[in-house]
This record gives sequence, structure tokens and C-alpha cells, in this order.
Amino acid sequence: MVHSESGSEEKKSSNAVNDLLTFNAENMQNNMKIIYYSRTFLSIIGGVVAGILGFTGLKGFVFYLLLMAVTSVGLVAKAKFSTQTYFDSWNRVLLDGFLGGLMSFVLFWTFAYDIVHIF
Amino acid sequence: MALGFAIGVFGVLILFHAAYSTIQYRGLLKITEEEFSGPPFNVVIELSLGLVLCMWAALTVPGKFLSIHPDSEENRIVSLPANLDFMIFNHRGKVFPVEMDLKLKQ
Repeated sequence: MVHSESGSEEKKSSNAVNDLLTFNAENMQNNMKIIYYSRTFLSIIGGVVAGILGFTGLKGFVFYLLLMAVTSVGLVAKAKFSTQTYFDSWNRVLLDGFLGGLMSFVLFWTFAYDIVHIF
Repeated sequence: MALGFAIGVFGVLILFHAAYSTIQYRGLLKITEEEFSGPPFNVVIELSLGLVLCMWAALTVPGKFLSIHPDSEENRIVSLPANLDFMIFNHRGKVFPVEMDLKLKQ
């Protein structure tokens, strides 16, 4: 008996970055969700740490960039250094969730700074 | 999974403790009327430890990565039939590139 799953396979036209013609979109979404959760949580924690340390101005943003760089390295290590198996392009692993995380970082940074240093 | 979650909670608790220590340190500085240049050394150590724990938790708790290749072992979606009645030859597989070699699953 031939089984075929409907709805989990998707055809994507090839572009310059990848050479996969089809991939399992449901697993791709799962992987993107994992990256998003990891980055958001670490942005919040990084914001609290930056507020406690008393960073102001540019130092805080440099701290955020360092934190996101370490997160990217950690995510690539989690993917066992073969992003081809889990994602269709490099940019997704490195850059997805960066700006959303920046908003959360600044929010919790100012929050922690106010609590620890001003009140 | 639960271990990663517990480590994350522990890391956040360490961060709260470090925040409380810094608040007390600032109170002390207000009494002695000195400038705040940075939290004390042990608070910095505590913050780094909390950050490392939270980073470990953030990378392990959300779940494992799943492979997106359609021809990897855990993504098998078809099993080849043994019965001649149900074999289909006129399907859309002809638009795939020829170099994909299918594995027979007995």
C-alpha cells in the first residue's frame, strides 16, 4: 500500500543560496521556532544582565551584539555544524530574530537598570 | 527537558540574587557617598555564571532540530508496495532531478 503524507511536503524553486528543490516545511518551521525562542529568551536575560551591570549607551548595544554572536555560535553548534540538514540558508540561522530580540533587550535593559540603580 | 528547565530557573534565580546584591551595594555607596563605577567582583562572577546557565538552558530546552531533507531516514513518507495491484507508476516524481537514488525499505 502506498502511503503519502499530504500537506507536509512543499516544492520550493531553487535560488542561488540553496540547492534543495523540496524540503519538509513542517520541520523547517519547527527549527525556526526553536531559534526564535532561544534568541528571545537570551535577549531578555541579556537585558537584565546589562541593566544590573550598569551599562549605558553604546556599551549596552555592544554587549547585545556579543550576546547574539555567542547565541549564533551556540545554535550552529546545536545543528552539529551542518546547517544544510536543518535549514535552507545560512541567513536564517544567523540573522532571524535579531531585531525582535533587540526590542526585548532594550526593554528589559531599561527595566533592570531602573530597578537596580534608580529606585 | 525538565533538567534544562530547572537549570534555566536556577540561572534566573542567580540573576535575581545578583540584582539584590547590587541594590544593597548601591545603598552602601550612598552612605559612603562614592561613585558607582561597577558592581563588586563577586556580583560580576555571579552574573557570568547565571548567564552561562541561562544560555545552556536556552539552547537545550526548546527542542531538537529536525532534518528537512525529504530523503533522510526519519522523514520517510512512502513505503514501497509489495502488491502489484497498488503500484503507481504515473505520478509526479518525474519532475524531480534524476540523481536522487531512492532506498528500498523491505
